[in-house]
Amino acid sequence: MSSSLRIASGLFGQATRTISVESTQSQRFLPILLRNTSRSQCRAYSQRPRCSQNIKSALELRNSFSTSSPCARAKTMGQLKQRNSTGPFSWKAALLFVLTGAGMMIYFRVEKARLERKRIAEMSKGVGKPKVGGPFTLKDLDGKEFTAEDLKGKYSFVYFGFTHCPDICPDELDKMAEIIDKVKEATKDDKVFLPVFITCDPARDSPEVLRAYLKEFHPGIVGLTGTYEQVKNVCRQYRVYFSTPRDVKPGEDYLVDHSIYFYLMDPDNDFVECIGRQDTPESATKVILEHINDWKREGKPLKVE
Amino acid sequence: MGWLPWSSGEPDKASDGGRIAPDRTSRKRCWEGRDLFFACLDRNDILDAIKDDKEARRKCAKEVEEFEAACSSTWVKYFKEKRVMEYNRDQTIARIQKEDAATVKELKTQGWNSK
Repeated sequence: MSSSLRIASGLFGQATRTISVESTQSQRFLPILLRNTSRSQCRAYSQRPRCSQNIKSALELRNSFSTSSPCARAKTMGQLKQRNSTGPFSWKAALLFVLTGAGMMIYFRVEKARLERKRIAEMSKGVGKPKVGGPFTLKDLDGKEFTAEDLKGKYSFVYFGFTHCPDICPDELDKMAEIIDKVKEATKDDKVFLPVFITCDPARDSPEVLRAYLKEFHPGIVGLTGTYEQVKNVCRQYRVYFSTPRDVKPGEDYLVDHSIYFYLMDPDNDFVECIGRQDTPESATKVILEHINDWKREGKPLKVE
Repeated sequence: MGWLPWSSGEPDKASDGGRIAPDRTSRKRCWEGRDLFFACLDRNDILDAIKDDKEARRKCAKEVEEFEAACSSTWVKYFKEKRVMEYNRDQTIARIQKEDAATVKELKTQGWNSK
């Protein structure tokens, strides 16, 4: 057994030259046995007569370190040469290295941006944080009661304005309409985005007036109005400067100062970010979609109806 | 003149008590009237159409009439004030930029490098 193994080792060893004939059996037994089996298969099933011939001649050169078998040599030497010439490096390894590096860099950048957004989104959560938004009661254009609870479960996009606004509100509402369409398109209209217009001028902006006004911009905008006190309260909740005169005479014309930011609120109805005059519809849509996608990725609940 | 609620004296009322706001068409008319009037003021070197009201009315009689017919009086006042405010704002920005540039230039002559 021992001698035949030695022969086999001389014959079939992959790295023939490195295998010492004197090596202990316990060390070599298993690999040699395995090789032996595979080679005997080669011998047994090989259709090529040369193989068995070579084995025979190699048997004669017993204990020599020759790699006479072409079956073994073709494979062994090729691999050996390749290994010796390049060491552990090859173009595959280099490519893998570069790809992994590039992948990691992209991943870290994306993660960094995501965490930054998360920080912004969670800035207004928890105790002791500045609070924008809060409970309110208003009524929608059908006269139904609409409270802060109705904003929950969706990303709401709140804007304050009044229909007699000279130039800024119409511009901003046109922008809002563009944003609504872009978000709708990107989210495949899954109804997680709720644009809301709250009037600061309830005396003049009745549901009928609001409906006609908002229809010119986008039919998806939810218009809200209420009593003077209710509107004053919602403006205070959202930290909106409220300057509407309390007792207006019928027919009196006046302007209302108000904040011109859009407030993006998350499905818990916590404030996320402001969209201002400097934002384009594109940049605003990007910000909104990033927050919506973060929320979805984290698997948090959304109201889709 | 249904689409010009203010020009008929009494503003148009909605059936539920609200007051109808100018729609897109009348807003556009108003803005066009404003732009024509302001272009005339520019030609005549008038900045403040409230302070120099008489001068403005004399030199841009046609424009001011059209502007005031197309917009409500609060809007007219708002746009006139806004024109002055924006002019002052732009002047301030330009002044600050000029001062900044001068400071940078002076620092650079002293061997300071922004990099």
